[in-house]
Amino acid sequence: MRGSDTHVTDPTAGDRTTPGPSATAVRTEGLWKIYEQEPAPVEAVRDLSMEVRAGDFVAMAGPSGSGKTTLLNLLGGLTAPTRGRVWVAGRDLTELSGRELARLRLEHIGFVFQAYNLLPVLSAMENAEFTLLLRGLPTAERRERVRTLFREIGLDGLEDRRPGRLSGGQQQRVAVARAVVGEPALILADEPTANLDSATGDALLGVMERLNHERGVTFIFSTHDPRVMERAHRLVHLVDGRIESDVRPSGRGSTA
Amino acid sequence: MSGRVWWRLAWRNLGRNRKRTLITGAALAFGYLAAVVIVGVSDGIVAEMIDNGTSLLQGQVQVHAPGYLPERSLYATLGGDSGMALSPVLERLRELPGVTGAAPRVLGGGLVSAGSQTSGAVLMGEDPALEPRVSRLMAAIATGRAPEEGTRQVLIGSEMARKLGVGPGSEVVLVAPAADGSLGNDLFTVSGVYRTGVRELDAAYALLPIGTLQSLLALAPGRVHEIALGLSDPWTAAAVADSARAVLAAAGVPADVRSWPRFRPEIADYARLARASNWILIAIVFAMAVFGVANTMLMATFERRREFAVVRALGTTRSGVARTVVYEGLILGAFALVAGALLTAPILVWWHRSPPDMSFLYGGFTMAGALVRPVLRVQYSLEAPLLAAAALLVTAVLAAAYPAWRATRVPPADALSDR
Ligand SMILES: Nc1ncnc2c1ncn2[C@@H]1O[C@H](COP(=O)(O)OP(=O)(O)O)[C@@H](O)[C@H]1O
Ligand SMILES: [Mg+2]
Repeated sequence: MRGSDTHVTDPTAGDRTTPGPSATAVRTEGLWKIYEQEPAPVEAVRDLSMEVRAGDFVAMAGPSGSGKTTLLNLLGGLTAPTRGRVWVAGRDLTELSGRELARLRLEHIGFVFQAYNLLPVLSAMENAEFTLLLRGLPTAERRERVRTLFREIGLDGLEDRRPGRLSGGQQQRVAVARAVVGEPALILADEPTANLDSATGDALLGVMERLNHERGVTFIFSTHDPRVMERAHRLVHLVDGRIESDVRPSGRGSTA
Repeated sequence: MSGRVWWRLAWRNLGRNRKRTLITGAALAFGYLAAVVIVGVSDGIVAEMIDNGTSLLQGQVQVHAPGYLPERSLYATLGGDSGMALSPVLERLRELPGVTGAAPRVLGGGLVSAGSQTSGAVLMGEDPALEPRVSRLMAAIATGRAPEEGTRQVLIGSEMARKLGVGPGSEVVLVAPAADGSLGNDLFTVSGVYRTGVRELDAAYALLPIGTLQSLLALAPGRVHEIALGLSDPWTAAAVADSARAVLAAAGVPADVRSWPRFRPEIADYARLARASNWILIAIVFAMAVFGVANTMLMATFERRREFAVVRALGTTRSGVARTVVYEGLILGAFALVAGALLTAPILVWWHRSPPDMSFLYGGFTMAGALVRPVLRVQYSLEAPLLAAAALLVTAVLAAAYPAWRATRVPPADALSDR
């Protein structure tokens, strides 16, 4: 029942912003995640193999409990698979040490969380530049990159606000900025619009689309919202930890 | 490279729950205050004991002829039968660093009688000009005056005066076996009565001008039994004793030089015990603090579980997470230390300068045979504040260690878990 993988390498879906049409951002092979718990172990992800091209804009849909969050955790190296392998930026996550994984996350993966998860003691600017700080970039460069990004996504003038004084939509945009600013190959977002009203959610999705389009950032996000699914270039349906369907709605994500 | 961000997070997180931070910091600061002040009081008691135990009579370093102790033979004078050239040696001893005074003494056993009453006495010949820089017995005069050199005057203790029924101006007869085999005896006038509060001292000693006692005991002017040194800091006694030994060796005078811990071992023992209990006390104070601080820090880190997961997801290593928690402890400790020091310093200065008179609570009492005046003065030292400061910082870091470890165990996947 895993035949739908064939859509992944759909040759009609070229992308001018990525290094090459066949560059792979993420790949999994025979991925399993089993949570050992009473009364019975939970198979959250079952024998899942997929490939995501660099520059793609992928939505994962599926009922609650279908394994979306678990899969994102696996792709981001936040949790180890029970079996199988995950490659991100060409590296096998299952072979990396904790320190190497941290470094890979820092340099190649960005996260956006449903609950925003900004650090409340840091300003919007400091939150957004967090990974650049960890990488040791000089202050001027960090500030410049965040300012440019803030201008692009409509956060101009909010640099010094703490998260507590930002709206939900603004917080989520700061979170997207935090994920994007280090120019990772991949951004994983778990229901990024779930806590936002539909207009704000739309706007955020617009921001993500622009970053995808203009900067070639690969997005993989989970969602419940049919209107968000509609805007994905590729739509993966999970049921019970398996891919039930994997489609590329016509026209989107292609150069046409 | 990214160290500053952890300091910044630590600092801001401390500001997050100001009340909790303030209470925890205050606990550490008061721990510091308690430790330093209690050690100061304990050091004060020890200093008072040493001072009273040595400065009343003996001095902090004593020089005798080899073999003088323990029999205290009348003949065993410094430099042998011919005695020694005193003044140049005294001069050189006085010049040693930390020495406030050097005084020669002649000692003999004798009887003091008045009318039908007789009392055994240690006759002690002192130089009224040199002695006050070494001992305080002559300064402890309750009534009358010190005896004057060149006169037949004697200063006796209050217990002896009571027993003999005499006072200043009374006539007493002194009888003592002399060095020439005769029995020296003469009529003396009581110039004054001293009182130390130490009964044994007040009953035993009769103080005479050194020349007067030498002629009573038929000793030549160069013959003395003892040279006593007064020191500005009693804890330098061993070092001063070494230097004194060298001075006497250079002068060709064979000598047995002892510092106070040798001739007052009970005081030295008490001082050691007090010192050990100081460290134990500091350890207890801060051990209690460790648990209190660790508990609040643990609470604070539990509340931030998700944030630790988030920073891990963003690419922080475990050690980065641990660092920010430990830094938090360090910053808290540093502030508590500053506050504690600012709080402690004026209390110490005040307590040292104007020690409260505790005589309403207890009279002068003796401890290990030494008079303790009814004042509770704190003693400054550099050691206690520094040690307590180190203990405080170690406490803060130790208290942060377990919460830091717990923080590193937060799985990064928690960042994505639903709230
Ligand atoms: N940490 C965990 N421990 C045990 N079971 C878990 C854990 N996380 C998720 N699960 C289980 O795994 C399954 C998939 O969950 P999840 O990945 O959160 O799905 P989704 O995000 O699609 O709702 C569910 O049955 C859920 O209860
Ligand atoms: Mg989920």
